[in-house]
Amino acid sequence: MSSLGRIADSVVAYNQFVTGEVARARANKKYAGELRARWAKIRQSVEWTQSPTGTKLPRLALPDTDEPGAIAAYLFGQGLPGEFPYATAAYREMYLERDGGETPGEEPMRLFAGLGLAEDTNARFKYLSRNQKSLRLSTAFDGPTLYGLDSDHEGVLGKVGEGGVAIDTVEDMLRLFAGFDLTRPDASVSMTMNAPAPAILAMFIAAAKRRFGPGCLKQLRGTIQADILKEVQAQNEVIFPVDASLRFLCDMIEWCVPNLPKWYPVSISGYHIAEAGATPVQQAAFTLANGFTYVELLRQRGADVNRFGPRLSFFLDCGLDVEYLVLGRVCRRLWAIGLRDVFGADAKAQILKLHTQTSGRSLIAAEFQNNLTRTATELMLAYLNYTNSCHSNSADEPFTTPTEKYALLASHAQSILLEESGLFKHTMNLFGGAPGLLALERQVEQGILDVFREMDTLGGVIPAMEQRYQRSKIQEAGHAYEQQIYSGRRPVIGLNRYVTDEPLPHVPLARTAPRRQRLQVERLTAFKKKHAKKAPAALQRLENVVRGKGNVFDELLNTVEVCSLGQITACLTGVVGKFRPMV
Amino acid sequence: MNRIFPPDARNAPAAVTAIFIPLGDRSPVAGLVPGARFHPMAAPPLRLLTAVPLCDGHDSAITTINLELARHGIEVIYLGYHQSVAAIVRAAIQEDVNAVGLSSYNGGHLIFFREVVRRLRAGGGGDIPVFGGGGGTITPADARVMQRDGVDRIFFAGTSLDRIMAEIKTRYARPAKPARKLKGDRALARAITIAETATFTGDTPRSSGGAKPRAQVVGVAGPGGAGKSTLIDELTSRFLQKIPRGRIALLANDPSHPGTGGAILGDRVSAIYAQDDRVFFRSLATRGSLTGLSAAAPAAIEILRNSGKFDLIFVESVGVGQESDPFNVFHGRKLVDTVLYVLPPHYGGRIQLQKIALLNGADLVVLNKCDDPRAHAAKAEIQTRLDQNQRGQRLHATTAATHSDPGVDRLFAAIAELGGLDPARGGEKACQMEVSP
Repeated sequence: MSSLGRIADSVVAYNQFVTGEVARARANKKYAGELRARWAKIRQSVEWTQSPTGTKLPRLALPDTDEPGAIAAYLFGQGLPGEFPYATAAYREMYLERDGGETPGEEPMRLFAGLGLAEDTNARFKYLSRNQKSLRLSTAFDGPTLYGLDSDHEGVLGKVGEGGVAIDTVEDMLRLFAGFDLTRPDASVSMTMNAPAPAILAMFIAAAKRRFGPGCLKQLRGTIQADILKEVQAQNEVIFPVDASLRFLCDMIEWCVPNLPKWYPVSISGYHIAEAGATPVQQAAFTLANGFTYVELLRQRGADVNRFGPRLSFFLDCGLDVEYLVLGRVCRRLWAIGLRDVFGADAKAQILKLHTQTSGRSLIAAEFQNNLTRTATELMLAYLNYTNSCHSNSADEPFTTPTEKYALLASHAQSILLEESGLFKHTMNLFGGAPGLLALERQVEQGILDVFREMDTLGGVIPAMEQRYQRSKIQEAGHAYEQQIYSGRRPVIGLNRYVTDEPLPHVPLARTAPRRQRLQVERLTAFKKKHAKKAPAALQRLENVVRGKGNVFDELLNTVEVCSLGQITACLTGVVGKFRPMV
Repeated sequence: MNRIFPPDARNAPAAVTAIFIPLGDRSPVAGLVPGARFHPMAAPPLRLLTAVPLCDGHDSAITTINLELARHGIEVIYLGYHQSVAAIVRAAIQEDVNAVGLSSYNGGHLIFFREVVRRLRAGGGGDIPVFGGGGGTITPADARVMQRDGVDRIFFAGTSLDRIMAEIKTRYARPAKPARKLKGDRALARAITIAETATFTGDTPRSSGGAKPRAQVVGVAGPGGAGKSTLIDELTSRFLQKIPRGRIALLANDPSHPGTGGAILGDRVSAIYAQDDRVFFRSLATRGSLTGLSAAAPAAIEILRNSGKFDLIFVESVGVGQESDPFNVFHGRKLVDTVLYVLPPHYGGRIQLQKIALLNGADLVVLNKCDDPRAHAAKAEIQTRLDQNQRGQRLHATTAATHSDPGVDRLFAAIAELGGLDPARGGEKACQMEVSP
């Protein structure tokens, strides 16, 4: 049995434990008394606040009951915010404003941006961060960078700076974050980067050290996606064979845990799984299963789950299907139970920290301004799950990398929900424990466990992947989704319902001019020329480490000083080979 | 009012939802109704190459389109995502396709499509039309530029699959005729197409004559899932390393769908070493042949062998059963010089092993996937089975999915020895054969 079977069993056992506690609370007077006393204490400790219109509100809403069974069901089945099993929320207060509105709560907004050359994205960061209270820089890379290729690689020129920023060298990385103080306590950088993540993070660290000194490592806060399993299953940005990719990833995680203590070196992602077609249940099941697989791999290497566990983070898609109302809640609960009861992790390592992005797939070109409403609705669902951070898509994304106008509207959608509306700032736990939520949670959880068991019979995540189980399931679900749109079973306003004769809008496109693309190549050429003498030896040292048992990430920190991303990728594929894609 | 699915581009869905699968009944494609499918006079299926451009991993749209094309009786040679212009052009020429379809979702399409057209023209495939789509990312203004650059057709988001299929079938159907002016790989590819068509219409394919045969032809058979394609690809990489100037040809047979007559020929997706001008790769759909090979395979083998351009030719059968004999080892004239039989460790035990006819006929027997725990026991069982034949057959143990597996090295050495492949000799003729730039 792979760990997935044991995890499914542990969830069933936990649910039986909850049922048992409910029965005991009802049958055992002494226990009922203890629970009532604890409940009374919790209620007394809830602070009160006031809305701008003068309504008094509790900062934490709790089920309105005194019945010991109901108390047990809530405390053990759902958990108070910040308490096991974390269905309600990872932390106690989340977005609540503090000091009577003087201090805003945790700001979940992360705005993904990346276009053109490093300085273009830097300018976009400056534009977007004017509208944020804290410094949150989330980076999208262009196709060549995502595939570990240099901007001068044969045939990639048209793709340079398209859909994301072109990064070839540590010098580009310096330009990307120029002018931002990344050591600020409220600064956070995230990078959507997978197969070449170790080299890119090494460039980021090298650039940060040049600007802020070696001491900055303890202060740098952020996330790199680096989730190679979902790349193989859904997003297809894979360079190296799976075993080599996993080694590079685990080396990076092991290096980061002690040396870059505020960094999340992996973001276990369902987003791309869902965008490629998976249902919400499949998204959650595949993503959690991938997460458990990383835990197993790291433990097999001798790493301590209590040290690396808190540095794992998650990333889910949020679409308009009803399951999204509870997806984050259910995932937090299953992760906590699995980590505690199967892997023996302590409280800090049990918490699933969640980033959410609204669904790109739900946005359409027809009457595209409706996309604003779609995204706003999805944002509401994401916040109701108390996501730790969130990106909202721009309405013009069916056509282009977001232009300034729509990127700003997407950013403001989050501010309107969190700051302008009173929904999330006065009271935690608006709906937790509500009948609809509970019913949905039960069904979604059962669906996820069924997928766990099916993958378990295939031998676990990696054997299932080799049998292309996840890919088949995702493709089937994707086809079903399209069929539903075609048949009208899945209404899409402006596409199969309430269609108007509005002509296709003229949407301005964010594209990179050919002369800018050539400039990137010129910079790269200059870098390679400057380091032509040192690069071969650096690559040889990297090769030696890969052939031996050393930590590859540790060596990459040296390599990136004199080598480009493409040189590093070529060196690594020379040693470990290339990924063989599946249909 | 619920108006379902307006057909025009104005109602374009987002990039990732560009494709629609119609649910309704479809009328059978002319000539492809069951029973009449392989009638001598029926038109041969269209052959299309589909791919996603370099640095682009968005394959959900193309996956749906591939399925739909196959459902319409079309043979789809799928190259995969993240494909370079050179790889696309090389595949289009070697497969002698009716058209090339590209699905591009992350920008750069203006330059990429233009390069595909330009290099097709330069490489002797200027008559192969290029079409494509990219949801909302390819705007009507882009499409005008692309069409000026020689792209045949851009399908906008929101175009129904029915309409795309109907248009592809009328636009790109053209009979493959012998064309004297074709050169290099395209000429070879066309000869195979003619052979396929001749087989299809009941004619006997003509031998192309030509230079003196010298290639070693290795037929590779084995049950589905044994890892034949991966093994052949790894052997290809050894050939490219060890024989610095030679050329290798691969004939990959894959089943046609029995109901529709279409096929998705996906062997190129995982053939990562076949992307080299020294490799000639041709996919053949079985088109109703039940031997494990296309009925045109014998002619195709002769064409490749007689071309005098190859040192080594691999012919991969479809997944075969216990009694199969795709290469005529036991009856008639043997189609290949060497038969290589590949087994996975899970073949069902000793008794099943006894029943596999090709274990008697094979020159080389390979146990692949030796990283499987069952491999150890399997090795002993298979060797015992081979010893009964008293032919001195040696079992090769490989783990082809592992990079630079020493078992594959040894297997290649054995093949090279059987075929008299000499690194020092390799392919002076191949040097005159530069095809794609």
